[in-house]
Amino acid sequence: MRLLSGDARRAVFAPLDDGALRSEAVARRVGSAIALGLLGDGEQLPSEAELATQLNVSTVTLREALAELRKLGLVDTRRGRGGGSFVRSREDALAQLGATRLAGLGTTDLRELGDVHAAVAGAAARLAASRASAAEIARLRDVLTRLAGSDSVAAQRRADGRFYIEVAACAQSVRLTMTQMDVLVEFGQLPWPPAHAPELLDTVVASHGAVVDALEARDAARARDLTDQHVDARTRWLIDLRLQRLAAAPPAATTADRQEVES
Amino acid sequence: MTSVDGGGGRITAAVTDAVERVFGTVADVHAAAVRSLEPVARDGADGAPAGDAPELGTAVRRLLSSPGQLATGLGVILAPQAGTGRPGHDVPVRLHWWQLDPDNDRLLSLDPDLRPSSAGFYDYTAAPWFAVPRETGRRHVVGPYVDVHGSGQYLLTLTEPVVAEGRFLGVAGADVPVSRFEVRLLGGLGTLAQAFLLVNEEGRVVVSTSPRWLVGSLVPPAGGLGAGARVGGVPWRLHLLPA
Repeated sequence: MRLLSGDARRAVFAPLDDGALRSEAVARRVGSAIALGLLGDGEQLPSEAELATQLNVSTVTLREALAELRKLGLVDTRRGRGGGSFVRSREDALAQLGATRLAGLGTTDLRELGDVHAAVAGAAARLAASRASAAEIARLRDVLTRLAGSDSVAAQRRADGRFYIEVAACAQSVRLTMTQMDVLVEFGQLPWPPAHAPELLDTVVASHGAVVDALEARDAARARDLTDQHVDARTRWLIDLRLQRLAAAPPAATTADRQEVES
Repeated sequence: MTSVDGGGGRITAAVTDAVERVFGTVADVHAAAVRSLEPVARDGADGAPAGDAPELGTAVRRLLSSPGQLATGLGVILAPQAGTGRPGHDVPVRLHWWQLDPDNDRLLSLDPDLRPSSAGFYDYTAAPWFAVPRETGRRHVVGPYVDVHGSGQYLLTLTEPVVAEGRFLGVAGADVPVSRFEVRLLGGLGTLAQAFLLVNEEGRVVVSTSPRWLVGSLVPPAGGLGAGARVGGVPWRLHLLPA
């Protein structure tokens, strides 16, 4: 059988437990995997039956999710021999998916996500300060060089995600790495702030660089604090983006308004 | 703590024995790979896709399910080869690797992320278990490390180079989960007079019988452990701790 391996890809196809609106959750998860580059352009998704089993959703729900992804242009389904569902990596569709997700979340939800991200990434950085080998630290610097030189939103996002995964691996913890991946899959469903404010990329690179310096200096407290601060700043960028869009959007019609119009 | 007493000798012998048994399995995989992939290696192109090596798969299945086997993953990784003068015949890195699913003993063919653009990309040729045998021509033991983009486990990886007519073709190897290695080693040693540490060449703790030293942590150079004793067959040192 074909097995999607690696924690990164396992996180994408982990069973969903977020209850209602499951087809939307499936669509978002797959969209996030495309945004993070975990699913590549042209890659074939597992069969409907297999995917439904892996995600623990019904085939009906899964078909709804695939229909949604097709409508967005992120999945292309071919019939017949050699057919199946294939990934289409499209920046515009991913941005649209991110915007929809952002609009569906309150600032409290974003703060909650940021809290978990800080807890995981901060703990990983603290442990990595005493456990990362010189070779592992050098690899982190390579990832940052790639991040700084990324010329597309997709490439930036991938290198940024890669940085967090590698720090968790430096902590020598499989469980922290898996938890970090779960958190990244959630963030992959949201807009990437430097796409809207390009100068933020420099801040991201500099902040990660300062964390690597702290790891190299074996300064656990500083590595954790810097990680906490950076994750907190990113949470605020997303909250700011959310509020800006709220201010720019026309007030949503309430149920009462609609009823008046209809009557 | 530069000398190792009788207890230390027993420990190093047990470690060497466990490691040699795994390398024995690696040699079996190597031999099966040469039989199975010879035409591919000889022609340098038109290779079968990963996992599509039936004879090797059969041998690996037998080895992985043999009693007392420490390895949970076995296979070969072949280096990317430049085309042999024929355009369009460059061969990318190829993986023939199987692992045992710990939950149901099923054999799974590993299909890692080989696209450099992904956040989950696994750069095989840069990994020390590939690069070191390529550069030194000798076998190597890597770990413990989080195999984040492959099996997703905390592993020791043991590899040896596959060479034909002086040309490096790739590596044959085995993945041994760190906890499995520890349980087997400590279970076989029985009661010991002193606690001990096994430390790899990076200064990372591989096995510890003292809660003061955690597996995966780095022993500071000035940790007061001394030089320790060499362990045959692995780039590790044994440190006995004061009783």
